[in-house]
Amino acid sequence: MAIRHRSVAVALPAPARPARWPSARTRETLGGIGLLAPTVLLLLGLVLYPFFYAIWLAFSDKTVGSPGQFVGLRNFVYVLRWPQFSTAVWNTVVFTVSAVAIKLVLGMAVALVLNQQIRGRNFFRAFLLLPWAMPAFVVYLVWRWLYDPLSGLINYALIDLGLIASPIPFLSDRSTAMISVIVAHVWRNFPFYAISFLAGMQTISQELYDAAQVDGASRVQQFRHVTLPGLYHVIGVVVLLTTIWTANAFEPVYLLTGGGPSDATMVYTMLVYVMGMMNLRLGEAAAVSTLFLPLLIALVLAVTILLQRKANA
Amino acid sequence: MREPLSIRATTYALLALFVFMVAVPLFWMVTTALKTNKDLYEDFTYLPRHPTLQHFVRVIERDGLLTNIWNSFAVASVTTAVTVVVSAFAAFSIVRYKYRGREWIGRFILFKYVLPTAMLFVSLYAIVVALGLGNTLKSLMLTYLSFTVPFCTWMLMGYFRSIPAELEEHAMVDGCTKIGALFRILLPLSAPGIVASAIFSFTLAWNEFLLALVFTSDQTTMTVPIKLSMMVVGDQYIWGQLMAGAVLATVPITILYFLGQRFVVQGLAAGSVKG
Repeated sequence: MAIRHRSVAVALPAPARPARWPSARTRETLGGIGLLAPTVLLLLGLVLYPFFYAIWLAFSDKTVGSPGQFVGLRNFVYVLRWPQFSTAVWNTVVFTVSAVAIKLVLGMAVALVLNQQIRGRNFFRAFLLLPWAMPAFVVYLVWRWLYDPLSGLINYALIDLGLIASPIPFLSDRSTAMISVIVAHVWRNFPFYAISFLAGMQTISQELYDAAQVDGASRVQQFRHVTLPGLYHVIGVVVLLTTIWTANAFEPVYLLTGGGPSDATMVYTMLVYVMGMMNLRLGEAAAVSTLFLPLLIALVLAVTILLQRKANA
Repeated sequence: MREPLSIRATTYALLALFVFMVAVPLFWMVTTALKTNKDLYEDFTYLPRHPTLQHFVRVIERDGLLTNIWNSFAVASVTTAVTVVVSAFAAFSIVRYKYRGREWIGRFILFKYVLPTAMLFVSLYAIVVALGLGNTLKSLMLTYLSFTVPFCTWMLMGYFRSIPAELEEHAMVDGCTKIGALFRILLPLSAPGIVASAIFSFTLAWNEFLLALVFTSDQTTMTVPIKLSMMVVGDQYIWGQLMAGAVLATVPITILYFLGQRFVVQGLAAGSVKG
């Protein structure tokens, strides 16, 4: 093992000693690579290989148990002609854009409140973080039960308060299914925005606020000209990062509606699952995710560059 | 400085609203788990009239949830142990060694941290089946590393960078090897980061849904999330048991989370947000 070699600190003046092989520099390289090797193997086997394998699958007629032949663009033609695909694209966009927008506003509001001098701030911060600390699948099971038309709390409370006359089938009505899924998803994920923004706000110097106050800036102006500019980077990273995660969310749809009613909540991850795991058509399933790849890679590269720039700054 | 009254009133009103919003589903989960079926389906009440643990007993005895809890625990523990060791080595190598190409590996690790599993699950499934690992816990222990290792490596890289290299260099002048300096100096100093990365990988593995759903199909190999989600489709009147199961799946992870909250927030700050 390379790591057993004794190495000397490169920065120090080397004591006079007979030249030995391997040289300090070689040992440095070997040591570094030795430590990194398990990670590189994992990334090659579990990320890079599946990544290209998925692209190959999209060009094959592979099913579970058969080797699969190259079929050119057949899967793509099939998928693109298929009405369910365009429905899934549209639903994914609607879900992602509205969920990210609501989480952004709500997360900012929560962060602003928690950044004030309130009594029991640590308790409230921990409490408002709870949805995010809970397992996502638990959250969606709870929401499914909250939405239940027969015995769910929401319908019961709304009837009790006299706001509605008969129960609303939130998850099985085309007009309410998507918004219900979004609400559950927002409930689980807004704390990530809130704590990220809160962490960002706490790095903004109090002197900036004092100076703004001396200049007679109102609360709103302070937010607009001090808080927001100080948070630009955090907002950029969080929005990009969670756009990727939201667009690829699977659990809310799978656990709440399964993509229904009649595809009203069919997002692309659910479509891949239905194609690949229920219909066992791996080729078409891979074609669906491959079609989303260019957009996803663009987003991933953007956020990678943003994070990297900050790391090197 | 005291805030004007209007600001304070708005702040507390909003706070009350947020607390209510978060509390309602939690309240519903816990009270459902404690209610009798009569209180749940026949004669609705907000609070359980006769609090009972019968759903907990039933979900453990009749549905055998303990097997699934054990499965989740085994998968999460093995994943975490391997992740912490592998990521600490990788982060140490990238941050403290000088060789060509390490920036690219660092970039690739970040790329994977951001890349969602949903992109890869179809081909991972085909690979798992080809390896003969279909329907085993091993398939989960192996594939979970694909997201825990990049995440924890990225986080630990941030941590290690924040600790001056001079401390290790001094130790090496005193005759410590470079790897010895990792164990004697860097790891003890970055203990909060190590704890945070362990908590994160345990949580990620405990909560993982998609791969577990795709790879395991037996009651005996299912992890908790899959077992509970299968119960939804089975019986109509199982919400008491389901919520009891939900509480059982939530409590350990939430306790872990709050015990390590300080480290977790620091870790997030070091790894993802502040860079």
